[in-house]
Amino acid sequence: MKPVANIFLIDDDKLFLFLTRKTILATKKEVNLKEFTDANVALNYLKEIVNNSELQPDIIFLDISMPIMDGWDFLDEYMKLDNHIINKPRVYIFSSSISPHDSERAKSIGVVTDFIVKPLVKDKFIEILES
Amino acid sequence: MQWNPKATELFNWTVKEAVGKYFHETLIAPEYYSQYLSEIKSFENSSVGQVPHKTIELIAVRKDRSEFDCALGISPTQIKGKDYFICFMSDITERKLATKKLDKQKEFYENILNHLPTDIAVFDPDHRYLFVNPGGIKDPELRKYIIGKDDFEYCEYRNRDKSLAQLRRNQFLEVKDSNKEIRWEDSVVDPDGNTITHLRRIFPVHNEHGELSMVIGMGLDITDRKMLEEKQTLLVKQLSTQNTQLVDFCNIVSHNLRGPLVNMSMLVEFIEESEDTEEQEMLILKLKPVIDNLHTTFNELVESIQIKQDLEIKSVNVLFEDCLKRTIEGLDVEINKCGATLDVDFEPAPLVYFPQKYLFSIFHNLVSNALKYQSPQRKFIIKIRTKKLENTILLTVEDNGLGIDLVKHKENFFKIGKVFHHHPNAKGFGLFMTKTQVEAMDGKIWVESTPGVGSTFFIEFKIHYL
Repeated sequence: MKPVANIFLIDDDKLFLFLTRKTILATKKEVNLKEFTDANVALNYLKEIVNNSELQPDIIFLDISMPIMDGWDFLDEYMKLDNHIINKPRVYIFSSSISPHDSERAKSIGVVTDFIVKPLVKDKFIEILES
Repeated sequence: MQWNPKATELFNWTVKEAVGKYFHETLIAPEYYSQYLSEIKSFENSSVGQVPHKTIELIAVRKDRSEFDCALGISPTQIKGKDYFICFMSDITERKLATKKLDKQKEFYENILNHLPTDIAVFDPDHRYLFVNPGGIKDPELRKYIIGKDDFEYCEYRNRDKSLAQLRRNQFLEVKDSNKEIRWEDSVVDPDGNTITHLRRIFPVHNEHGELSMVIGMGLDITDRKMLEEKQTLLVKQLSTQNTQLVDFCNIVSHNLRGPLVNMSMLVEFIEESEDTEEQEMLILKLKPVIDNLHTTFNELVESIQIKQDLEIKSVNVLFEDCLKRTIEGLDVEINKCGATLDVDFEPAPLVYFPQKYLFSIFHNLVSNALKYQSPQRKFIIKIRTKKLENTILLTVEDNGLGIDLVKHKENFFKIGKVFHHHPNAKGFGLFMTKTQVEAMDGKIWVESTPGVGSTFFIEFKIHYL
């Protein structure tokens, strides 16, 4: 990981993005946050920077429930890309779902590091950042 | 009467006792006298040699008046110019017993065949009837008639469609050629309108030389089982639908209810932590839309649960025209804003027997969806039509909007919480509700769509006769 971690937040809920950014800032950790409200836009951006490790994320927080391209669709496409991303970012599924089915499904996907039930609390973020 | 020693053995009369007596009065039971006498008489007008040797069966009597079954052969003959009859008698008690036993056995097996609750027909290798049991043909006259005939003759006799006979012939030949049993189910509607289903099988039977000796056809009434099967299939379908909906509900609770709740609790936490009044006010402002959103979602959820529980909602005759008018009034602002063209024709089927509330909701959802996802590249046109089909009324709502990639979204199309466009008010409830309402009333809904061209929604209403 770079000295200052690149973190991508992918979630269509703008209020949640705002609140999560606020939580992350409150940890006083220095990070580069990039937010996407559209998974497809995030994917295209990742394709663009496929050779640029400087801009590549170290951590991706991905929501499941999104219109058109949802979290699962994103992961399908992302896995085709995964080998080309030099940074090998950790992907955290980030969901308000409390369904064990979603959590199992997420953990069964190789590139997924963990499944986190919303909200993201400060301690959890620090733990993820420092792991 | 003359007499040989063997006769003494058979009847116990000595030669002396027998000679000179009348044959029939001595040796035959009285009820056979007339038959015997008429037999003797039949010889009178014919000359010797022309009449074949004849055997009749009767009951003979011994000296002690005990009776037994006897075969009597009569041959007229001439001895020294005089007419004589030579009568040969033999005890057939054993044979008679064996025959009786056979008859009894035959009766026993026929009884079984005739009382089996199965249609049984036996054919010879040329597909002619050898036997049909009452399960197969009830009428005893017909049952007699058909022996030795084939299905073509039977169909002609009963004025029936010959295609069935041809079908049976093909099946018979299939069995004959393959030497294997075939089975199938067939359903017919009886005169009372009930569907009767039979499991039919025909199979070949070979003799000890391996030649086809007969073909047996059997039909078992499986209507009850079939009905049970259909009920179970329906039940499984209902259960799996309900299960899917349960999973959907779990999802909607997670995403649409828990999501806003998480946001609310985070907001409240920040408000509590903040010491900046301005920031607090800004955060409080953000609370309101979340609460409104939660409220709407909650109401929609409740509404869709009510559809499922409200199985006895009242249907009435609703005019499509009236319903659409109400919908247009409700969407007045949106329609005027885009200058939409509505092309409507309800002439072919002006009304439907359906819950008014549901029909209004269906129109509202379909029209507002079409408005929501109209294409910015062309002037919005929506075509609404009804059509009367055999047992259904078909409603079509066609737009020239954005369209949807059905290959990608087919399975999710009518699911709760599924959204296919970026739109601030898209929550994925509308179509789920519409589908629930249509299906609650035994109807069907489906969609055809091409991205960039438009979508057509089809709703089939069942015509309910009162």
